[in-house]
Amino acid sequence: MLGNRIGVISCSGEECLGGTISRLAVRKMMEELKPGMVSTLCLPLFIAGDGGEREFAEKYPTIAVDGCSKCCAKRAIEKYSSAVAGSIDVAEIIGEAKALEKPLSTRYITDLHMEYVNQTAAKTCEIFDEILAKQ
Amino acid sequence: MSDSLCVLPCNGLDKCAGDLSRRVAQEMAKSEEVELICPVLLNQNKSRYEKALEAGSLTVIDGCNTRCASKLAADLELAIKEKVNVSEVAKSLDIKLGIEIREDQDTQAVIQAVLGKINSSAAEQVESEFVEPESVEYNTFSHGKFIFKVPKANYYFNENDCWVTVSGNMARVGVSDYVQQNLSDILYVDPPEIGDEFEQFDDLGSIESSKAVFEIVSPVAGTVVAVNAGLSDAPEQVNESPYEKGWLVEVRLSDFEEDQDLLHDCPAYFEFLKRKVEQIDV
Repeated sequence: MLGNRIGVISCSGEECLGGTISRLAVRKMMEELKPGMVSTLCLPLFIAGDGGEREFAEKYPTIAVDGCSKCCAKRAIEKYSSAVAGSIDVAEIIGEAKALEKPLSTRYITDLHMEYVNQTAAKTCEIFDEILAKQ
Repeated sequence: MSDSLCVLPCNGLDKCAGDLSRRVAQEMAKSEEVELICPVLLNQNKSRYEKALEAGSLTVIDGCNTRCASKLAADLELAIKEKVNVSEVAKSLDIKLGIEIREDQDTQAVIQAVLGKINSSAAEQVESEFVEPESVEYNTFSHGKFIFKVPKANYYFNENDCWVTVSGNMARVGVSDYVQQNLSDILYVDPPEIGDEFEQFDDLGSIESSKAVFEIVSPVAGTVVAVNAGLSDAPEQVNESPYEKGWLVEVRLSDFEEDQDLLHDCPAYFEFLKRKVEQIDV
């Protein structure tokens, strides 16, 4: 998993809908948009300090995808590793009020939610491509 | 005992088991009595959940054996009432979860099994047949600032510092005062399943503090008939009363006479422990 040289970390996402979107966007990027090109780092593992996640984020550019302006993922990277290479706040894409709605099980995701996921994933891919172009 | 419950999943994103921990927590959180705790926000801002954690007991759901959620709870010194590991439940069902996040019959079966395990805890407990002694007298010795106590009689110890005390064909198992002092504040007791059969020196669950996890090595062979249910709400009883209220497991003995050959009685353990403490310079 850590063979690729750009990392992406989603927030854990239990506080709000923005978190649900951020998780799904990172999965979409990993599974569909940039398969095999991105290292998805597990934020709980990153915080626990195991698994080489912190070391990866210290060495390689890592993008934080946060569900709301609490920016848990971005703050964790900055606290335990180094500055983020890029960051997304889902609330800036779908609006603060929407982002702060209750989190959802993936079973109840609607087409509108999927549109939010697509927009967030596309924005994350843009940052990914910019970083890749500089390497 | 409180009626409300906090549930802390690991919420891992890079493995199916982590995703299932989240789905189990979301199922539980459909009840108004259950508060779902976001592990990352908890780490960043514990005060966000302080009221809920004070009012309710905590169930931790780990996805895999890295046990991120358990470690986080231990780091923050949160007392855990119950813990479930999604990967272990899947293994018991002979289901391989792997990396890919998926929603199918297998993952649904794992979710239901985890929920069932959480709901059924302590359901099989029978009334204790163990006859408690009226009082226990202790010998003590000190080393530096520490004072260690060992019962004067009726307890037997293995060299892993686990004890057994016997009443007829029944026995209770626990850990010594030395163990509880080493671990410091105990946050969680992970007991074996009632009905489990085990041999002498087999693992018999574990206890955890913020410092370490201690595997309980059984001093005897037998069958688990009860676990100390009081420890799920008050694991600190192991610290406060390691030889009495802090007992861990009640067992029906297989052959205590044979097991006894490999155990220390109280005076022998007292001397053994003194030597051990001096050697490792506690």
